[in-house]
Amino acid sequence: MKRFILAILIFACSIFADNVFFHNHWTLWKDADVLIWSTDKSPALDPKEFCLSLKRNNMGIGEPKCRLAGEWERDSIAVLYAGWLLANMDNNVKPEHLRARHPAMVTRIQSVEDKLVLFIGNRDGEIYAATFDENSAEPVAAGSFSNTGDKIALGDKIAAAFFDGHTTRRLSKAERAKRMTEPDESYKEIPGFQGWAGIAVGYSQAQIPLTPDNWYSSHTRSRVRNYRITKDSASLWNFIEDSDPQMALYAGGTWYGFIGAELMYRYAYHKVKTDNQDTIYQELSYWGFHQHEVGINVVLSRTYTYTKWFKTTPFAFIGFQYSFFVEDIGLKDDKKPHSKAYDVRIKFEDSYKGALVGIGNHFIFFNHYGLGVRAGISSRGRNIEEDPSPEAAAEPTTIGSSTIDCFINLGLEYHFSM
Amino acid sequence: MVRRLHFAICIFLMSILCGCSQSYRWNQSHPSYKKAPEGSIAVTGLDEAFVVTRSSWFAKKLEISKDSIQTFTSNFCSKAFLEELRKAYASVTVIPDAAINHFPEESQKLDSRIFMKGHLPEQGVVVKDSSGNVPPYILIIHEFILGTDLQREDFYDYALIHNEAPEKKTSKNLSAIVSYTLWDNEKQRPLYSAVNQVDQPNVKLSLADITQIVASSVKQIKRNLTAGVQ
Repeated sequence: MKRFILAILIFACSIFADNVFFHNHWTLWKDADVLIWSTDKSPALDPKEFCLSLKRNNMGIGEPKCRLAGEWERDSIAVLYAGWLLANMDNNVKPEHLRARHPAMVTRIQSVEDKLVLFIGNRDGEIYAATFDENSAEPVAAGSFSNTGDKIALGDKIAAAFFDGHTTRRLSKAERAKRMTEPDESYKEIPGFQGWAGIAVGYSQAQIPLTPDNWYSSHTRSRVRNYRITKDSASLWNFIEDSDPQMALYAGGTWYGFIGAELMYRYAYHKVKTDNQDTIYQELSYWGFHQHEVGINVVLSRTYTYTKWFKTTPFAFIGFQYSFFVEDIGLKDDKKPHSKAYDVRIKFEDSYKGALVGIGNHFIFFNHYGLGVRAGISSRGRNIEEDPSPEAAAEPTTIGSSTIDCFINLGLEYHFSM
Repeated sequence: MVRRLHFAICIFLMSILCGCSQSYRWNQSHPSYKKAPEGSIAVTGLDEAFVVTRSSWFAKKLEISKDSIQTFTSNFCSKAFLEELRKAYASVTVIPDAAINHFPEESQKLDSRIFMKGHLPEQGVVVKDSSGNVPPYILIIHEFILGTDLQREDFYDYALIHNEAPEKKTSKNLSAIVSYTLWDNEKQRPLYSAVNQVDQPNVKLSLADITQIVASSVKQIKRNLTAGVQ
């Protein structure tokens, strides 16, 4: 029982004794140069042992070098700040509450370049630690650790608390100088023109997802009797199958990474929905329509770069298209005399004009190779460029004057910029 | 019923409009500010903090020459301030401005656009009073602006401070704006910083009015110091 309680006590101590106040994101350098800064007569950390702790704790840290920050220990302003820091480090403080205010101290911290400064102080028998990098005058991480007098154990604990994670290679003097003259990535000028060309496969259907089925059922359930009779002829989906695969070719480009245009061609084949109960179709071998669509879209997009080799360009497009339906029909035996209804069968308009709108995303790898996904809604209506004939009132309604579908495409793309 | 609905819609729209208007945060407490000073306090900044805007108006009203109005009101307000502070705290130690004036002037951020400037003691350096004692709390008065119809955002919102003063000066109210910091002298940190504004209807300006507005300003500082405890 005693042992059990002791074990629990030790466990509780190990949880509560070490307390990280805050740990912000900071760059941990590979082959890190760590300056151990302490105003105590005998620092609670041994530089050599701490280096070994770093190596044990983080395999990616390479060959770290640790030494005492002698220059900091002798500087009177730094000594004042160290005393202040030790007195003010507490569980409830944020980094800004520990900011160095003296201009000379701020300059000192900001001139550490890519070294890391680890402050260690002993207050009331507890070890307080804080780390600084060159980017600000406040600590990037701070915490308190129980003082057992074991320098190696303390080094391990501090290494695990603050020096964990991904390491970055330090730049050489020459690289650093070059980096200074390089333009900032954030201000990089976007190429004047970014273009792409792609080939895609997709699928289209009349029913737009998340909309009620009964909006479309009158069109999609309709069948063609006697080569031309349907309940309603407003939508082409009364005559032909609506859910079919499609293929698309497209090429376009954006200017200033924002606005652009795209030309596209789409192809699909739709079978006619003949009524199987109608015996007149016994003579029919096949009947369908090749759908060809050409259009132009206005594209609005924005590019987000994640790594050097990967970026995405979400976009929205709106455009218009011309649709052509080319009939493909064949009788079982052409020599036989066919029915009269065959000769007066349904005829679609020469062309339909419509609009399309949608959104998509280009996933671009290594600046050139892309995967494109897009989804949208497209319509086909009557071609209003033709004047209505004088007998318009007597004519039946234009077939397919309101044909709407939605589509989704997945394409392989090639991107280039100028 | 319809009238009630209209009333509700009206209130709703008003609350939206109010929500859109600029609102400032005028004070900042340190997370370790756990106890407001009671009984004893040290104060500094009283020599140079007091400023009078519209000095010729004050000079005319108080019948004091224009040349000496600043010095006169500064001394007068300083005395009134100290007198009122002595009523609020049992023991008040006055530390001359020179004790902290040699430290660099720094700005403290209270809100996204509100910054107050003032001298703060260095980190690691304690401020001692004339007899060599170390007071635990020091009330540092950075600026005390006395004027008519003043708005504190015109002085402390950095987006507004360069605005030209309005052509027509009004004097409906006597206003006092004070920026101050309660300084933890032992740990050298600002425990509570704020900008207060007091307005007092201006009937006929007399020295008694000035004493009164300085007194209400001190009372407000004490109230805020207590309310600011985390």
